[in-house]
Amino acid sequence: MRRHISMRRMILLAAALALGAAGCSSSSSSSSTTGTASTPASSSTGVASAGTVSTSSCGTKPGVAATGTPIPLGAIATNQPGTSFTDIPNMAKAYFDCVNANGGINGHPIKLYIATEQTNPAQIAADARQLVQTDKVVGIVGNTSIIECSIDSGYWQKLGFYIIDSGIAPECYSTPNSAAVNMGPRYSSDGAVQYALAQHVSKVVFDQANVPGTGYIAAGPAALAKAANTPIVQLTENVPITDANSVAIKEVNDAGPNGAVILNFTPPQALVILQAAQKLGLEGRVKLWGCSTPCNTDFLAQSLGSKWNSKLFVNAELTPPDGTNTPSMNLYKAILKQYGTSVQGGIGSFSQMGFTEAEIAVHALQSITGPYTVQSVNAAFKAVKDFNTGMLCQLWTYGDYPLHIPNNADYTVTANNGKMTTAQGCTPISAADPQIAQYRSAAGTAANAP
Amino acid sequence: MSEGHGGAATLERARPAGVRRRLTRPQLVKWGVTTVLLLFVLLGLPQLMSLYYVDTMTQVAVYSMVAVGLGVLVGRVGLVSLGQVAVLAIGAWSAARLLFATTQPYPLILLEAGLITMVAGVAIGLPALRLRGLYLALITLMLAGGITVVLATVNFPNGGHGFLGYNGSLLHIPPIRRPSFAASDPAYYRFSVIIAILMFALVFAHIKTKPGRAWAAIRQSEPAALAAGINTTLYKLWAFALASFITGVAGGVLAGAIHYLYSIGFPTQDSITLLAVVLMGGVYSLWGAVVAALLYQFLPALLNNWGVSADWLIILFGIGVLQVLTTAPAGLADQVPRDLARLGRRLRRAAARGSRAEAP
Amino acid sequence: MPPWAEFEPFIVSGLALGGVYALSGVGLVVLYRATGVLYLAFGAVGALGALIAWSLITKAGTPGWAGWLVCVAVAAAVTLGYGLLFGPALAKRDPLVKAVATIGLTLVLYGAMDLLWTTSGGQARSLTLPTDNGGFTVGTVQVTWTQVIALGAGVVLTVATAAFLRYSKLGTAMRAMANDREITATLGVPVRRVEAAAWLGCGVLAGVAGLLLADLVALDATTLTFLVISSLAAVLVARLRSIPLTFAAAIVVGLLHDLLTPIVALTNYRDMTPFVIAAIGLLVMSRHRVIAISREEA
Repeated sequence: MRRHISMRRMILLAAALALGAAGCSSSSSSSSTTGTASTPASSSTGVASAGTVSTSSCGTKPGVAATGTPIPLGAIATNQPGTSFTDIPNMAKAYFDCVNANGGINGHPIKLYIATEQTNPAQIAADARQLVQTDKVVGIVGNTSIIECSIDSGYWQKLGFYIIDSGIAPECYSTPNSAAVNMGPRYSSDGAVQYALAQHVSKVVFDQANVPGTGYIAAGPAALAKAANTPIVQLTENVPITDANSVAIKEVNDAGPNGAVILNFTPPQALVILQAAQKLGLEGRVKLWGCSTPCNTDFLAQSLGSKWNSKLFVNAELTPPDGTNTPSMNLYKAILKQYGTSVQGGIGSFSQMGFTEAEIAVHALQSITGPYTVQSVNAAFKAVKDFNTGMLCQLWTYGDYPLHIPNNADYTVTANNGKMTTAQGCTPISAADPQIAQYRSAAGTAANAP
Repeated sequence: MSEGHGGAATLERARPAGVRRRLTRPQLVKWGVTTVLLLFVLLGLPQLMSLYYVDTMTQVAVYSMVAVGLGVLVGRVGLVSLGQVAVLAIGAWSAARLLFATTQPYPLILLEAGLITMVAGVAIGLPALRLRGLYLALITLMLAGGITVVLATVNFPNGGHGFLGYNGSLLHIPPIRRPSFAASDPAYYRFSVIIAILMFALVFAHIKTKPGRAWAAIRQSEPAALAAGINTTLYKLWAFALASFITGVAGGVLAGAIHYLYSIGFPTQDSITLLAVVLMGGVYSLWGAVVAALLYQFLPALLNNWGVSADWLIILFGIGVLQVLTTAPAGLADQVPRDLARLGRRLRRAAARGSRAEAP
Repeated sequence: MPPWAEFEPFIVSGLALGGVYALSGVGLVVLYRATGVLYLAFGAVGALGALIAWSLITKAGTPGWAGWLVCVAVAAAVTLGYGLLFGPALAKRDPLVKAVATIGLTLVLYGAMDLLWTTSGGQARSLTLPTDNGGFTVGTVQVTWTQVIALGAGVVLTVATAAFLRYSKLGTAMRAMANDREITATLGVPVRRVEAAAWLGCGVLAGVAGLLLADLVALDATTLTFLVISSLAAVLVARLRSIPLTFAAAIVVGLLHDLLTPIVALTNYRDMTPFVIAAIGLLVMSRHRVIAISREEA
């Protein structure tokens, strides 16, 4: 009996070790193919458009490694089964690595501390305190979390941190201490609804995932529909969705043949709904389908196929990487290739957001003369004005306002034969959304700069 | 004393009423060590730990209460509940609603939250008690699933009006308040530890008196307990009530700890993970509940700090469950002292052999 | 209350959902009758197979049918391994303990799947079967062959396994072993071989179900692993005994869930349907007597 027990123990131990080995060895091969059909992130073939771009343009002294005292920055990102935003701070770190290899910030390297959380408020608050008190960060760049802004906004305000993030929760856009590079679910949904309204649909059905913030998010499309005198139906679905068929039928029934169905879900959930609609034969039953930014991935376009050509219109918060041949976009792709080994999703909006946030931070840090303290760094962040990131429709400004929605103009892309192509260029989000109106009046011209 | 006789199979022998048993030396040592440890945890730990770990240990205190409730159900009475996280959510919901709606002192609200949860637990427990074993476990899972869906729709109170107290369009959610005497993180940590100690004392009192003996009898053999005249339904309901009350109080402490409550924070699968850690910690001893809470909250925080994915922990818990069920039914809290004792015996034997060899 | 015409398409989708629940539910009951274990890792094992098949098909370029075979093989191997390793040790324990042990396996698989197939970067994976492309129209909606296969598989499984367990020698041996392993061994039944056959069959079942569910529901580790929780409703109503009753209950759960969709006041609560039905079913059936799984019942 004893031998039996110990043998089982050994097998359990071996199983654990084998899993560990498997996990370590396959982490590199588990990254899926990237957005563009031609370039998987892990391959070493050249970028499709321009020739290889030197990454050294990210820093001020090409080839000179920074060796001074590090400038500590922090980021908090959700990382739990089913939802992981770690690509964003990982890409920011890749950018910082590039800068560190090319002169740093006046010779100082940037050290990014990334804390992950599993949507546990206690953990999120603890992570913030860890970053500030133990890691002694002087700035926060790259936060991407379902609820972090709600939990920590008071803390950041008390300490005088002006964070640069990719926002999701309401507080990321409604407090003085957070400015996002993206539009977040509410304004991105506004963009998708706005496009549908511009196509003169007779009814809008807005369906979103039942995660924190649904009321706040729904208020945007509701205001836009009211201003356009179009009826709107608000729905929510518990995620993960186990019965996409009933969701698709309900949406199509509610929208009617001249209506629009607008989705606000993460890519896997949106895909499940759209595929169910297709299998049921419903994709042509409404005038158009729309989706907020998370749907803007080539994964989705590939999985949906050609039946969806000219049927699905996705709001894009960031400049589409395909077909854009600007120095910033090429630099982004080059840094991703050279330094972005931990970025799982490759080219796409997640890594673009990380790049943009890091870009802004570096630009701000380089303007600092003197020591890098919480005061000096956050003052520099707040002072960023009319910065051309090369990734957004507008110039980006932080500024000293009670709320921040610096990215408030968007593209619309559409699925076409397995890729996302641009359907409409930069369009400002309608000021029918009261928050947008409030921001624009507070920020003045800075909000509308092209 | 008839009920004491009934459950004679496992327990403390019946003693004539009025005779106090003096504490034996090992028991005195055990009490002494426990007291010193508790004092250290209360007073010493906050000084030594960073705020990150103070916040984590507050969570450990909260979940040790949930674990001890589940431990009572599983270990003492033999009822497996796969829905304790839903019960915790009810407790947190009640506390949050009261905290926003009234200005009562915090400890009173904890009591009220505990009582509300207790009533809910008994209301659910009563019809479910006709089921046994696997069926009972599965029905608790079903009930937890249902409660989770309801919570996802009605949400947690956030300062709004009406019975549900939820205002969906708020741009800025107000935080749930803390007691005025425990507003800072280290102070709230001490507050949660004290509440946890009180709850553990409540459980201890139950175990050492009539309910504990009745539970032991029921766990041994329910028909035999019935035949001996124990009102098994009453005592099983009592266990449900106790576990629900304690978990409800834990929910109240949780509300003040994290300030913001979301339905996605109480998913059904967490109840399954909770059972896993309680089994690993050990269902028969009170220390097992502390071990379970450490596994459930401290270990993830540690791994998070070291940059290790939380998935490894899920795998570890799965292996732990398998290990516990096949080789060590009493869990780590029982196994580690046993292993240490075995190690101690071996060392003593080796030392004795050595000295014997030297002696002429 | 919406007009009747609005409910029509939901009847079709409700049957499809019922098929999904029936596949898992009947699978669970069949496994329970054959091995005495409520195999809660059913969904996780199927998900693992489906994800491995997906990786092979999309990354290594293996043909579809080969990927599906691997899916079934992986599910069978994991289940057989678990059964051989932990079956004998837990054979004498309460069915509750055996079920909780499978929770251990579920957690291990779930953690591993999330590690190996991450969801960072916004990947959306999907598995499509060729039978998705054809179908027929019922009223206003299309029905794919895959949905028909799932429903059909549920029916076939119900009939075939009920007959197998009752009439065939191997099936009877499995039932006897699930009831009491020791006594069955003394009767001269080759216990280890029968056990292996039972677990292997269960694994194949889980693999096939995993493939179908990955197509019909979603190729997502979390969704597929915890789909068992909702599938348990039908299992509980049938008290883990009657396979036809499980099938019928699953169809009812699916139909009711979808029929609630157009009713505005209840639509947000429709995900509660399996839980409410399970609770009502069990409590109604237990109102006159105590329900327990004794050795004789298994």
